Amino acid sequence: MRKRLPPLLLALSVVGLVLAGIAGVPPEAPAQAKKKFAMILPGPIQDADFNALGYVAIQELAKAHGIQVAHSESVAVADAERVAREYITSGHEIIAFHGGQYPTIMKKLAGQFPNVAFIQEGSGRMADAPANAWVIGRKFYQGFYVLGVLGALTTKTGKVGFVGGVRLPDLVATANAINMALRDHNPKASLIYNFIGDFNDPVKSRQTAEAQIAAGADVLLTFVNLGLYGVAEAAKSAPKPVLLTTLYTEKWDTAPKNMAVALVFDFAKPYKEIVGKILRGEKGGYYEMRPGSGMELSAIRNTPPDVANKVRAVFKDVVAGKPLPEITDKAP
Amino acid sequence: MTLNPITDIQLWQQMLLYAAPLIIAAMGELLIERSGVLNVAIEGMMLVAAVVCFVVAWELGSALPGIAAAMLASGLMALVLAYYGITLRGSQITVGLGLYVLGIGLSSLIYRVVFGVRLSPPRVATLGPLPIPGLADIPVLGPILFQQNVLVYVALLLVPAVHIFLYATPLGLRIRATGENPRAVDALGLDVARLRYGATAVGGLLIGLGGAYLPLTLTGTFSDNMTAGRGWLALMLVIFGRWQPGWALLGAFLFAYVESFQFKVAMGTKLVPPQFLLMLPYVFAVVVLIRIYSGARAPRALALPYDREARG
Repeated sequence: MRKRLPPLLLALSVVGLVLAGIAGVPPEAPAQAKKKFAMILPGPIQDADFNALGYVAIQELAKAHGIQVAHSESVAVADAERVAREYITSGHEIIAFHGGQYPTIMKKLAGQFPNVAFIQEGSGRMADAPANAWVIGRKFYQGFYVLGVLGALTTKTGKVGFVGGVRLPDLVATANAINMALRDHNPKASLIYNFIGDFNDPVKSRQTAEAQIAAGADVLLTFVNLGLYGVAEAAKSAPKPVLLTTLYTEKWDTAPKNMAVALVFDFAKPYKEIVGKILRGEKGGYYEMRPGSGMELSAIRNTPPDVANKVRAVFKDVVAGKPLPEITDKAP
Repeated sequence: MTLNPITDIQLWQQMLLYAAPLIIAAMGELLIERSGVLNVAIEGMMLVAAVVCFVVAWELGSALPGIAAAMLASGLMALVLAYYGITLRGSQITVGLGLYVLGIGLSSLIYRVVFGVRLSPPRVATLGPLPIPGLADIPVLGPILFQQNVLVYVALLLVPAVHIFLYATPLGLRIRATGENPRAVDALGLDVARLRYGATAVGGLLIGLGGAYLPLTLTGTFSDNMTAGRGWLALMLVIFGRWQPGWALLGAFLFAYVESFQFKVAMGTKLVPPQFLLMLPYVFAVVVLIRIYSGARAPRALALPYDREARG
C-alpha cells in the first residue's frame, strides 16, 4: 500500500498546480494563418468588471478583424514577462497589457521584439513609449471628477468616502479629482479615503466601507473591482441611507436602493481602432480614453432630479473638453 | 477625525464579525490537531467550501443547503487528508500542501464552470443581523454581542462546546490521548485510526462552515482566493492558543481587532503609508506567535503517523 503513495501524491500535487496555474499559462494556439493577438489581464475574467470588459473586447476584436485571439488572466506582474514571451515565441504579433501594472515589462519586450506590436494601458501619454507600442491613456480622474460632483451635491453629512484598490498614481489622481469636485461644488464637504491594497478583496472592501460609514460618510465612491460587492453589503446594512457609485459596468442589482451611478467603460472601441491601425501598418501611437471616448455615464438613480441634471451637465462639459483644474497624482 | 479604540462600538462589532470565520475554522483545526493530525490544507478547504456554498445557495436560493454542502465538501477533503495521513501513513504536511494547492485551483475552476463570464455576477442574499430579544437592547454590550448574524453566535458557542467536548467527555479525552500517545490508546483497545478519522472529519465540517461564512455573511458573492490567508491565520490561532479553544478565541479577537482598527487609522491619518497599515495585523500575528510559541507544547504525536506494528 505504501508504495503507491509517492505517485499518488505527485499526481495530486500536479493536478493542484495545473489548476492553480491554469490562468497564467497561455493556451496552445492551433496552427492558422490568421494574425495572432494576445491579451494579458491582471485579474479574473469572472469579475464582471474591468477584466471581464477586457475579455469582451478581445471577443469583439476577433469578430471585427478576423484575427485569432488568446488571453491569460490573473497574471501577476512577476509572471507577465514570461507569459508575454511565451505568446511572442508562439507567433503572436500583437500583445496587449490590459492594466497599468506592466509598462516596464512592455518597454523591455518592445525593444527586444521590434516586429511585435504592443498595447499598454496607462494613465496618459508615456514619455518614452517605444515606436512599436500603442498607449491607451485612461483618464479615470476626469470621470471621477463628475462622480465627485454627485458626491458633493448629495451628501447630507458633509462626508464623502472613497474606497480605492491599489495605491497607483491613477487612483491617487482620482482621489484628488474627487477632492477637487468637493471643493468646487460643496466646500463644506470633506473626503475620507482608503486604499485597501487589492481591487478584488470584497471582505477588506466591506471593512473599509463600514469604517467610512461609521465615520459619517453617506456617499461612497468606489474604485475597486470585485471589492464593490463588499462595499455594497456595507451600504445595504448601514443604519442610514448610503449612496454608491461604481465604474466599468453598471451594477444596479448589487444594491438597487444605494447605487446612484456608474462610470461605464467600453474597451472594445479603443482596441478595435488600435488593432485596425496596427493591421494597416501603424505600429505605435496614443489613444485617450476619457469621458465621451470609451467612458460614459450610466443612468442616474436614487438621486434628486436636479442633482442628476447638474451631474449630467458637468459630464457634458468634461466631454466637450472643458479644462478641469490641475489634478496631480500626489496624495491629497 | 477622532479615534477612540476603546469606546468605538462599531470597532468592537466589526471585531466580532470578522473574527467569527477565524474562530470557526480554528475550532475545526484544533479538533483535528488534538487527535494528532496536522492539517495544513485548511486554506484550500475553506476556499472550496466557500465556492460550493455559494454555488448551492445560488442554485437553491437558500443559505442552509449552501452551508450543508460547504461542510460536506470540506469534510470530504478532510477525509482525503485522513486517508493519506492515517491509513496510508503518508506525510501529513505533503498531502496537506497538495490539498491546499488543489483547493485554490478547484475553487476557481468550479466557479468558472458553473458561471462562466458574465457582466452581471451572480449573488446570494447575505445573512443579516439577528438581534436577540431582550439582550440586543442592553447598552454597549447589546449592539456588540447580540446584534450579530447567526453564524457569529454559532462561532461564539462553538468555543465552550469544543472545550467541554475535549475536557469533559470520555470521547474528548480519548481524542486528546490519541494526539499525545496513540500507543497507549491502542493498548487500551481503542481504535486510533477511527478516533483520528472522526476528529478529522468533524474538524473538516467546521472548517467548511468557516469557509461558507465569507460569501454568506460578508460579500454575497465568491471571488478567487477570497479567503485571503484566513485559513493560515486559523492555523496560526491554534498555535497561538496553545491548542486550547479559549486562547484561540482570544487570538482571533486580537487579530480581528487590529485588522479593523488599522482601517480607521488609515482614514484618520495619512502620515503612515496605507501599505504599512495593511501589513500591520499580519506583523502583529507573527510577532505574537513568535512570543507565544516559545514554551508552547504541541500534542506529542502531532503529524506523526501511527503504525501499531512499529517498535515503540
